Amino acid sequence: MEFKTFVFYFLSAILVFASLRVVTSRNPVHAALYLVLAFFTASGVWMLLQAEFLAISLVLIYVGAVMVLFLFVVMMLDINIDRLREGFWSYLPLGSIIALLMVAEMALVLGGSYFDLFENAVPQTGIAESNVQAIGRLMFTEYVYPFELASVILLVGIVAAVALTQREKRKTKAVSPSRQVFVKAKDRVRVLQMPSEPRD
Amino acid sequence: MLENYFPVFVFILIGIAFGIAPIVIGLLVAPHRPDSEKLSPYECGFEAFEDARMKFDVRYYLIAIIFILFDLEVAFLLPWATIFKEIVQTESVKWFGFAEMLVFIAILVVGYVYAWAKGALDWE
Repeated sequence: MEFKTFVFYFLSAILVFASLRVVTSRNPVHAALYLVLAFFTASGVWMLLQAEFLAISLVLIYVGAVMVLFLFVVMMLDINIDRLREGFWSYLPLGSIIALLMVAEMALVLGGSYFDLFENAVPQTGIAESNVQAIGRLMFTEYVYPFELASVILLVGIVAAVALTQREKRKTKAVSPSRQVFVKAKDRVRVLQMPSEPRD
Repeated sequence: MLENYFPVFVFILIGIAFGIAPIVIGLLVAPHRPDSEKLSPYECGFEAFEDARMKFDVRYYLIAIIFILFDLEVAFLLPWATIFKEIVQTESVKWFGFAEMLVFIAILVVGYVYAWAKGALDWE
């Protein structure tokens, strides 16, 4: 167990450092990259807990998809880094209230077992059993409604993303080839029969 | 047991080595004669003519967000797939276990149809 403890503290130190840099680094791109590092080390910590499904999905989904989107947005958006700092003091009260709320929530979740908030402790899986199967069995028996709710939340996400980005009819000059081939000359050109006018 | 992850650890080490080794070999072996032209930033052979930070079409992000949401859906499918055999063999939850995933996917298909009908998936 000595080596395991060492690995845990090693990963945790990197995790704490990376998380601190996420909020303190001036450059948003660096912050996003530190967040990637934080996700990787968090996945390592989960691996130590033998929660390999969570660890792999953290890497695949957060690092592979979410952080790529974040990096894309942060690197491509025309943000002025100096102007990001503006309004720090005016946003401070609201920001600190939200931060305090989040700290309280995290404390309740993490310290819940000390305050006897939960009925039972975190269940341990058997050694021989696969972790993914244990998650699946719980998800499809005990937590059916949260599971279906997750699907509804994903649906809300899709609809919100589409509704936010969809504007009125796009003003593009693109032509539709399928409609274009059916155009006949008489649809576009009008030949006028005009008598010649004598010059005065 | 944590020892079972040792092959994964070895794979990670080999992966890191594969990433770092070519760079190190390149630094050690390749000729290094820099001049100002070589070191200046360029864009496909010509001078960079504008800042990389500019306004992008929001549809890039829309495609990315939709990708992430369906990517998340797959994360839910995987545990189901691993216990699917068990579900089918248990008489009491045989159809229930199957139907709940169908409901899950059906709800997401609603979002898919919405995105499709709204034209979020075509690019013109």
